[in-house]
Parts: sequence; structure tokens; C-alpha cells
Amino acid sequence: MTRKGRRLTLIASALSVICIAVGLGLYAMKDGVVFFVTPTELAAKTKEMRPNARLRIGGLVLPGSLVKSGDRHVAFVISDNQSEVKVSYTGLLPDLFREGQGVVAEGTLAGDEFKADSVLAKHDEKYMPREVADSLKKQGVWNDGGQGTKTATP
Amino acid sequence: MIVEIGHYALVLALALALVQGVLPLAGALRGDAALMAISRPAAVTQFVLIGLSFLALTYAHVVSDFSLVNVFENSHSAKPLIYKISGVWGNHEGSMLLWVLILALFGALVAVFSRSMPDDLRAIVLSVQSWIAAAFLLFVLFTSNPFARLAMPPMEGRDLNPLLQDPGLAIHPPLLYVGYVGFSITFSFAAAALISGRIDAAWARYVRPWTLVSWIFLTLGIAMGSYWAYYTLGWGGFWFWDPVENASLMPWLAGTALLHSAAVMEKRDALKIWTIFLAILAFSLSLLGTFLVRSGVLTSVHAFATDPQRGIFILAILITFIGGSLALFAFRASSLKPGGIFAPVSREGALVLNNLLLTTSCATVFVGTLYPLALEAMTGEKISVGAPFFNLTFGPLFVPIVLAMPIGQMLAWKRGDLLGAAQRVVLAVLIGAVGALALYALQGGPVVAPVLCGLALYLIIGSFVEIAGRIAGRRVPISVMAARALGLPRSAWGTAFAHAGIGLTLFGLAATSWGVERILIAHVGDDIRIGPYEVRVERVEPRMGSNYREWVAHTRVRSGGVDVATIDPSRRSFSTREMVRTEAGIVTLGFGQIYMNIADQRDDGSLDIRLYWKPYVALIWLGALVMAFGGLLSLSDRRLRIGVAKRAGARAQVARNVQPAE
Amino acid sequence: MVWVAFALMTGAVVLAVLWPLGRARAVKTRDPDVAFYRSQVEEIGRDASIGLLTPTDAEAAKAEAARRLMLVSGDAKATGVQSHVAVRIAAVLSLIAIPAVALTVYIRVGSPEFADQPLTKRVAERAPPLNVEDALARIESHLAANPDDGRGWEVVAPVYMRMGKFEQGAHAFAEANRVLGATPQRLNAQAEALVYAANDTVTPQARSLFEEVLTTRQDDPTARFYLALAREQAGDRQGAIDDFTRLAADSPPDAPWQEPVRRRIVALGGTPPAVKEAPAGVPTGEAAEALRAMPSGDQQAAIRGMVDGLAARLAQDGRDPEGWLRLVRAYSVLKEPELARTAVQNARKALAEDQAATRRVDDLARELGLEG
Repeated sequence: MTRKGRRLTLIASALSVICIAVGLGLYAMKDGVVFFVTPTELAAKTKEMRPNARLRIGGLVLPGSLVKSGDRHVAFVISDNQSEVKVSYTGLLPDLFREGQGVVAEGTLAGDEFKADSVLAKHDEKYMPREVADSLKKQGVWNDGGQGTKTATP
Repeated sequence: MIVEIGHYALVLALALALVQGVLPLAGALRGDAALMAISRPAAVTQFVLIGLSFLALTYAHVVSDFSLVNVFENSHSAKPLIYKISGVWGNHEGSMLLWVLILALFGALVAVFSRSMPDDLRAIVLSVQSWIAAAFLLFVLFTSNPFARLAMPPMEGRDLNPLLQDPGLAIHPPLLYVGYVGFSITFSFAAAALISGRIDAAWARYVRPWTLVSWIFLTLGIAMGSYWAYYTLGWGGFWFWDPVENASLMPWLAGTALLHSAAVMEKRDALKIWTIFLAILAFSLSLLGTFLVRSGVLTSVHAFATDPQRGIFILAILITFIGGSLALFAFRASSLKPGGIFAPVSREGALVLNNLLLTTSCATVFVGTLYPLALEAMTGEKISVGAPFFNLTFGPLFVPIVLAMPIGQMLAWKRGDLLGAAQRVVLAVLIGAVGALALYALQGGPVVAPVLCGLALYLIIGSFVEIAGRIAGRRVPISVMAARALGLPRSAWGTAFAHAGIGLTLFGLAATSWGVERILIAHVGDDIRIGPYEVRVERVEPRMGSNYREWVAHTRVRSGGVDVATIDPSRRSFSTREMVRTEAGIVTLGFGQIYMNIADQRDDGSLDIRLYWKPYVALIWLGALVMAFGGLLSLSDRRLRIGVAKRAGARAQVARNVQPAE
Repeated sequence: MVWVAFALMTGAVVLAVLWPLGRARAVKTRDPDVAFYRSQVEEIGRDASIGLLTPTDAEAAKAEAARRLMLVSGDAKATGVQSHVAVRIAAVLSLIAIPAVALTVYIRVGSPEFADQPLTKRVAERAPPLNVEDALARIESHLAANPDDGRGWEVVAPVYMRMGKFEQGAHAFAEANRVLGATPQRLNAQAEALVYAANDTVTPQARSLFEEVLTTRQDDPTARFYLALAREQAGDRQGAIDDFTRLAADSPPDAPWQEPVRRRIVALGGTPPAVKEAPAGVPTGEAAEALRAMPSGDQQAAIRGMVDGLAARLAQDGRDPEGWLRLVRAYSVLKEPELARTAVQNARKALAEDQAATRRVDDLARELGLEG
């Protein structure tokens, strides 16, 4: 095969691999991506949501809202101090799950109740899921405790 | 005083790095031996200085010197010694110091162990490495100084995040960093090649051991990290496609591609531009990972926007080095002489295919990791790209890699015989197919699991077919076979083991589909069935650790009424940060694992329990160890020590005599 | 000392650069390449012999490698020391640059004035546990020299009170009032000290102080209590009953002084106003009986003393859920929300392994509004 032919083969195979990858990527983006919303955004957008679309809802667990019933079934309310969403979940709650703390629930919306199939508390060093920290900071509800501590440096 | 000596040593290292970045480079360009001679002692001195600094910080952590902000924020006097030490790099400032320490370590290693390299090339490599070191030393000193002081030192520290108080953390970041930062030296080699114009097969040989070392450590580091997440996060997941994990996976993919394309460049003087590009890419991805993890952009885009100093600094480093090297690249690429020619079906062609698929899969990970960040930065919309995306994109790209691996090993250089190669892997294909069917019959489950397991078996067997063909034969005595086995180049063995390691990991991953999960409430003494075992909590009791209290559930694992193991899952409360952490009870039985977690004990004494039976799960990490072992074998190949080329030639002569051509 | 170390380190680093500069020798730039290509030519032969290359391809590959070998062999540059001027420039440059850069940067970021402060050393250096008498003596001499140190008086006054030196206590409060200006709290404290000093008799001086309090804080319960007591001691039984009754009626039902006030009313033969809700005081049972028998002034102190005792006991041994609950409630009753909150935290820590008890502590904290 000539040098030119080789180069063409190479380019053709590279292009086909890239095309496949792009196709896969676009296809996966359609189903593999989960939107994150705050309770307020959810309240605003409920109508435009596809039914059964997977969502992540983040906010603070409303103090006093946690109800444990029966066999590991729990219900609680996620709040961003403006709107609230009722969440039901069956399973073990993560270690760091506490009332008044940040949390992210992933699942689908059924009526006005959010059916979560996973409750995340995979927190960073400061124990706050990043999306929650962001949206709460925007509202000025949550202050970053870690920032104010670097007091005296020479 | 010790602490300030460490601090000053860091500053001196910066001054030295600046000098070292200029003089040897000038010497190499002017052909001046004296100036070039500076580079080796300077590289070693730089490592000693940063090492001193690191030791001083470790000392401060060990003696709980809370006048250091870093110690106050991340340590506690009651912490066990090992976590006082691992706490040094369990935080931003300390881990960046470890970063530069490893950077300097690689410089020093090149200075000491590459006697067989051309002096001018080495001088340039060490100069470039010094520039990187200088940039990061500036970063450490001015944005993340671990030696910053508190005017009024408190009597007690804030303690290290309990999740990080774990033996896994003691080893995982250093391993990962050696891998990550190791690609700095391949980058320096690439930059040196571009500066000096020595972009040739010999260069590929000089760079190979360093790529291998980085790759080995990165492999181990990723595996360690995933095992650490597996047993500390408490729900049995081991890979989350989390941006932090992806940040280490991307350099690994690029590094793996580099390893293979450098082999082509070394053997055949081909793929030169591509190899240099990959060397730059691998380190760029390491820097990108450092940026993602260290700028805080992952923790909160918002926080990054309000306090972007660190992120901007790393971004500036990234842009300077990558931009600079790409500019050099553009300048040199046109003047390259074409290398050796090869047919599409050949060892080279197979490696090109490998590179194509690896870099494409790397690109998909890149997109999946950065797309959410970019989207949020531009539109404010928040999405998370999770496992489904990566499984759908990464998976299909990796299957052809696995299929091609054994065949590629079988192809000859320059022009290969595809049909012949395919015939030789028939046995592997058969074993894979039979294995898949057998597993399907035995375990059932989703079809994808046995199919992938069959693929893994094919890869494991196929990896050794080539070697087996070389050493085994009808009526060949064992002693001759052993002699042949020893006579084969170590790198051939390395390839086989590394590929087989991928197969093992793949097997473990595929087998997760057969896992059993049970979440239940049980009393002490209840028998719980999980997979092929029964589990029984014998008693629950409190226990005191040095800086925590815990409730331990002593649990017996039985199989058919016979005790096989005991596990002690527990819940730890750390008083300083008022945090609770579950400590999973894990036991490996065969290659599978029983994984058990307990939650709160209820008022009536019953326990919330999470139980998993994960068949073959240990293979995931075992595979990584085998991969690393393969890398180590390749590294020990005597051809990598060119200084002894003559002797090696003589030995090769002997080997040829022992081993008649087939 | 630390600068000597810095100087030595700098010297060593400069030496590490200058030393190789001085030892000029030839360098090898192409030999390794030659060695590599030579070994590669041999390797091609080996690859061909084991079938990794077809014989024809091997010949071509060998030719390629041989060509490269020739290329690098002929390319060997003459190297060595090119110019002594360059070496001298380099030497001077590093001699100046290294110390200059290091010092400039270190002066910006370093803290040479800080010594190492290992925790063990700091603990050892800390003043030995305070001997109260000694400390008092020191403070007294300090105050004698600086009688206008109002803070000092304020700090020392409660110490006197705790030691039972009520007269000195009253004096210290008076001085504090003089220097810092009178506040109702300090006036009360001063007057109370005078009452204690006079064996629970409300002296005219104390009375005028309490009256002064009432001019700024009309409903101050402490002042009203003692003024009623003063009436009682002056023989104005009905006036005292009226005052006590009004005080009881004006105060919240769970106020800690309700109990002593009511005792006084009963003792004087009056009827206390209807109780809205049983006060959730600390002592119950026998202890409460004993407490009621005490003179009212001592009651406050006694309640405090009991609470402090309870706190101290729990600090020693925290595995007493009931004790913790009582302590939290007591602080809440004493209107010490900060202390109550701290007690809740300590209770959670101490009871961390007893989940049922922790839950009760949490419930109580919520009930008392101590969360957050």
C-alpha cells in the first residue's frame, strides 16, 4: 500500500471511531444525564417536565419533617427556605443524613411527591453536596464555615 | 526552628529551581559542558530541599504544633500517629507540597539513574522539570502555604475529616501522585525533544522507563482509591464516575496510549508526532486533574467564582506549559523526517488502533467530566452526568480494545498476518465462549454479565497464547521450555501480564451483576442468608478508639453450618467533628466478598443492616495488581539499560542459540 | 540562630551549583544514541529469528536502523567547555540570584520569629494550676497600684464572693461601679454582697442600692425581692406579703425565684397567687425540702451550687442520661441558654453510644428551643 493509501486508511478509521464515539455520546447524553433542581425551581418548572424524568433535588432537610414508618420507609421534606418538596424513600439513610443538613435526592416526581431511589450525602470536606451549597449560597442561607477561619497569618 | 527551616528550604528550592531552569538549558543549547553539569547535582539538591520541607511539616503534624494553620485545621492531639502523618497530605496545602516533592523526586531520579542518556538531552529535561517545579513552588508558597502561622495558637486542633482517617488514605494519595506527577517527566522529555530536535527512536527508549513507572503507580493509585471508596463510603460502590476519579482515569488512559505509541516509536521510528503529542496530553490531563481537584471548582462553581485565586494560578500554569509546548510542537512538527513504514495490518497498525480507541474513550470521559461544569458556568443549569453516560460511551469503546488486544500481540511488525493471528486465538475464543455459557447456566442473571466474563476469559487466555506458542511445543522437554521462557524478553512477559490484568479486572466488573444486596432489620442471633452464606450477629458492644467511640457488631459468617469467617462492622462517632462513620465489615471468600454495614441500633436492640455478597469482586483490584506487575516486568527488561547494550547484545546471542527458530 | 541555619543552607545550595561549574569535562551527547541504534540493529535480527518480522521486512528495518545509526554517528557535536566567560557569568549569577530570590521570597512569606511549638512543650510551659490565694494576692497588689482598673475589680469581685469574703466582694463591686459606671447587675451584686456580709440582713446601705436599681429597672426581681425582705425585717409584715405577692404574680411561673418567694409568703402567713404551672426547678424530693428551709438569699446560691455540682459530676462521668437532662433543664430555668446549649452538646458527646438517650437529649433540646 502506498504512503498515501496508508494515511487514508488511518484517517478513515480515526474518523469512523470518532463518529461512533460522538454518536454514543449524544445518545448517552439523552438518557444518562440527570438535571439538578432546587425545590423552588421545581415548583416553577413542574409543568414543563417530562413525566417520569429523572431528577436530583437538593436542599436542606426541613427540621422536624423526618418521619420513619414501617420497614425502612422514610418521608421527609427538602426545603430551600422558599419552597418545599415532599420526598419518600425506602432504604437506609446515609450516615450524614440529619435534619437541617444538606442532602440530594435522586428519583422521579410522582404527583406532588418525589419518589427518591437514592439519597446522597457524599459530601465534600465541608460536608455539603456541592449543588446544595451553591444554590443555598446564592440565597445567602448558608455561609461557608471554612472560609472565615483562616484568621491570623503573619 | 525546625518548621521555619522547612519553610526556608522550600523557598531555597524555588530559587534553585529558577537557576536550574536557566543555566543547564543554556548550556545544552550552547554545547557548554560546565553549564550542563549543573543539572544533576541541582536536581538532587532540589529534592533534598523539598524533602526537608516536607519532613518539617510532618514533624509539625506529629508534635501537634497548632501554631501552623495547616496543623490546627487538620490535626488533633489525640489522633493516632499514623493519621497524624497521613494527615500531612490529607489536606490541600500538604498535598500540594507532596505534589512538588514528587515532582522533584522524578527530577532527582532522572539525574541519578539515567547515566546512559545523552548529557544535553538530560540537561534540558531537568531544566524543563525545574520550570514546572518553580511554577508549583510559587503556587504553594503564595496561595497554599502549609507553613502559614496562627498568631494565637489554640490548644487543640479541628481534627482530620473522619472519612480520611483510614489506612487507605495513608497510601492512596502518594501512589496516585507518583503516577500523576510522573507524567511531568515524560512531558519534560517531550519538551526537551522539541527544544533539541531529538525526536527519534532513541528518545522513545530513554523516556520509556519513566512512562512505565508513572503508569504503574497511577494504576495502583487508582485501584487503591477505588478500594478505599469501596470500604469507607459504606455502600459497596467502588467507582462513581466522580470528577475526582475521572481526573485520575484520564491521565491513565492517555498514559496507556503513550506507553504503546512510544513502543512503536522506539521500535520503528514511526508515530513520532503522535507520541510527543500524547506525552504532552498525558501531563496536561494530570494538570487538569490537579486543577479540578485543587481549585475548588468541583466543590462549588460558585465558590470558585468568588475565590478563584488558586484555580486561576493552576489554570495559568496549565496554559503556560501546555500552550508553550504546543507552540514548540507546531514549530518542530513540520521538520520531522518520516519514520518507518508499515502496513495497516501489523503490530504498528494494531497499536494505532489501540491509541485511537484509548484516546477516544479518554475524550468521552473528558466530555462527561467537563460538560456539566461548562454548562453550569455558561447557563447556570445544573446537571450530573452519571454512570449511565459513561457506561454507554466508555463501554462500547472498550470492547473492541479488549477484542483486539490478543490479536495485536500476535501480529508481526511492519506487516502482519491477520488470519494467522486469528487462528491462534481460536482456543482463547473457545474458552471464553464456553466460560460465558457455563457462567450463564450457573449464575443466570443479565446476559451482559456472562458475555463480558467470557470476553475477560478470552483476554486472559489470549494474553498468554503468544508466549505459550514461543516456549511450548510437542516433545519439548520442560527444561528447554523453562530456558525459552527465561530467554524471552521481559517486556513480552510484561505485556502478557498487563493484558491479563485488564482481563481479571473486567471479569470482576462484569460479575458485579451477580451481586446480592439485602437491607434488613435483624436481632442479635438471627440467621441471615446472603448468597451462598449465612450471617449471624453474635453480639453488639461498645469499644473505645483513641479519638472515637464505636459500636461493633461481632458477626459470624457461616457456610452450610460451618464457620468460615468473622467480621466486625461498626459505627464510629468522632467527637471532635461530631461525625459518625460506618466501618464496613468485609471478608474475602474465594474471590468474592461479604460486605456488611450496620446503622443505628433501635430501641428494641434490633439493628439496621446492609449486607452484600459480591462474587469475584476482589478480581477488580487483583487485576490492577497484575497490571502493575506486568509494568514492573517490562521495567526490568534489560534493554532499558542502554549503557549495558553491549552485554545485552551478547546475552541476546546466547538466548538465540538456546531457542531455535520455529 | 535560625538565621545562621538559613545562611548555612543557602551556602550549601550555592556550593551545589558552583561545584560542578568548576569541574569542567567533556560530555557525551551522541554515544548513547549510537549504542541504542546498534542494539536495535541486533534486536531486529532477534525479532526476525523468532518470527516477529518476516525476513524481507527485517532486512528493510535493519536498513532503516542502520541509516539512523550512521546519521547519529556522523552528527556528534564537539562539546566541552565552550567559554570560561560563560562559566564565570553563570557562577556570579547563581551566587547572587539564589540568596537574593530566597531572601526576598522568605521575607514575604516566612515567619522567622516563630519558634516550634510542640503541644507537649506548650502544655508543660503553661502556668501550673492556679492557686487561688496566690492569684488573688497578685490581683490585689495589682489593684492597689492601679485602683482605676475597673475590669480588674469586676473580675476579682465574684472571686471574693465565692470565697465567702463578702465585704471585700461588696467593696470590689463598689469600685467597679465607681470606675466603670453603675449598672443594675453590678448594683444588685454589690447590695447582695452587703446583705450576705450582714448575715442576710438588708442593711440600709444595701436598701438604697436596691432602690437605685429600681430607678433604672423598675421590675428587677432581685431588687424587688430584697426590698420586700427588707420590709419583712423591718417588721412590715403585710407590706412584705404584698410586695412578695406582686413579685410572684409578675414573674413567669418557671422563674427560679418563684419557689423562695412563695416560701416567704407562706412563712409570713399570706397566700401565694395561683400557680399557673409547676416550676421545673432542679431539686426535687428531700433536697428540695432542705432547700426550702434555707434563707432565701442562700437559696439562689444553693441552687447554683447544686447545678455546678451536677455539671462537675457529669464532666467526670457522663454516662448518666437523667443527670444530663436535669442539667440542661436547670440551665434553661436559670436563663442560661448558652450553658444549656453547651450542656446539650456535651451530653450528645458523652452519650454518643447510647442512642436512645441521645434521642431524649435531642428531644429536650428541641422542646426548650435550644436547637441551632
